[in-house]
Amino acid sequence: MNPAAYRELGAGLAMGLGAIGPGIGLGILIGKALEAIARQPEVSGDVRTNMFIGIGVTEAVALYAFVVALILIFVAK
Amino acid sequence: MKGKRLLYLLIGLGAVAALAFLPGGVKEDFAVAGEFNLEPVVKLPKIGPFDLSVNKAVIYLWLATAIIVVVAIVVSRSLKVKPGRFQYAVEALYELARDGIVGSVMKSGKATWFPYVGAVFFFVLVNNLIGLLPLPFGEHHQPSFYAATANLFVTATLALFTFVFTHYAGIKKNGALRYFKNWAPASAPPVLKQIIFVIHAVSEFFRLISLSVRLFANMLAGHAILGVFFAMALIFQSYLAAVLLQGGSVLIYLFEIFVAVIQAFIFAILSAVYIGGALDQDH
Repeated sequence: MNPAAYRELGAGLAMGLGAIGPGIGLGILIGKALEAIARQPEVSGDVRTNMFIGIGVTEAVALYAFVVALILIFVAK
Repeated sequence: MKGKRLLYLLIGLGAVAALAFLPGGVKEDFAVAGEFNLEPVVKLPKIGPFDLSVNKAVIYLWLATAIIVVVAIVVSRSLKVKPGRFQYAVEALYELARDGIVGSVMKSGKATWFPYVGAVFFFVLVNNLIGLLPLPFGEHHQPSFYAATANLFVTATLALFTFVFTHYAGIKKNGALRYFKNWAPASAPPVLKQIIFVIHAVSEFFRLISLSVRLFANMLAGHAILGVFFAMALIFQSYLAAVLLQGGSVLIYLFEIFVAVIQAFIFAILSAVYIGGALDQDH
């Protein structure tokens, strides 16, 4: 394989493997938040706000992988 | 009646199937990455290291600022006790910024810091949303999708504002010495305290990176996926693929509206959390 092929393979692997962790994390996070809302509907506003903060922080991990993939494709030579 | 409906359904399916046999259009060169190139629209001279040329991102930023200013002036000049639709929508967003973002995460300094957090919320929100309108700033003035927030320099500047204001707020309220002392818990042994202080200092800089990269990557990924979906029809060169994929791109577009609002919300709420954390330090 030529170097360009390795680069694109690396970009695909980075994105795919990098999405596993945040995917599991988001599942647990939102599941627990829904559980909390179902148990105590009166605090649903607070839970939802904190859930969105958590989503932002968790999702950022996947986006780092996305940025690495972009760098591999467009910037790395 | 039922037989008629079945007939229409069959005709519709037949029409879609017939599209598969029509020859597709001419394949044009289309690269999604080209949509993010920033060619200067108005060339201006450089002052030192700063290139002052006006490019697509600058136009989008001006447009967003103009929209916010005009809407704010129009709504505030014509306030009614019984709000119309437009006033109600703007009021709902204002209330979300005041009670949903600042009110729910900050303990003290709500009145002082709401103007900043609210301004960031509206600026990012309008920037994200006008990114979903096709505006004629593409190549050869073709309509194209672009969002100023899909540019790392724009989001990094916004994150830098939050970074500076966080420490300014913390130092102003607690005093410089007490503010930095509180980065490490008072009860920890001295050696551990130094290590925790360094870790906290590093994490402050990582907040800067994560805040800017999150918004940038979300908007860039959204626009790249939209671009890929729109280009699919060109790549497959078939009207059937075009019809089927346009359905997909409508779904992605709707999801992008959701992402645009959520990302503005997250950016503003994290700014409020960081500033609130610097104001009321917990150790």
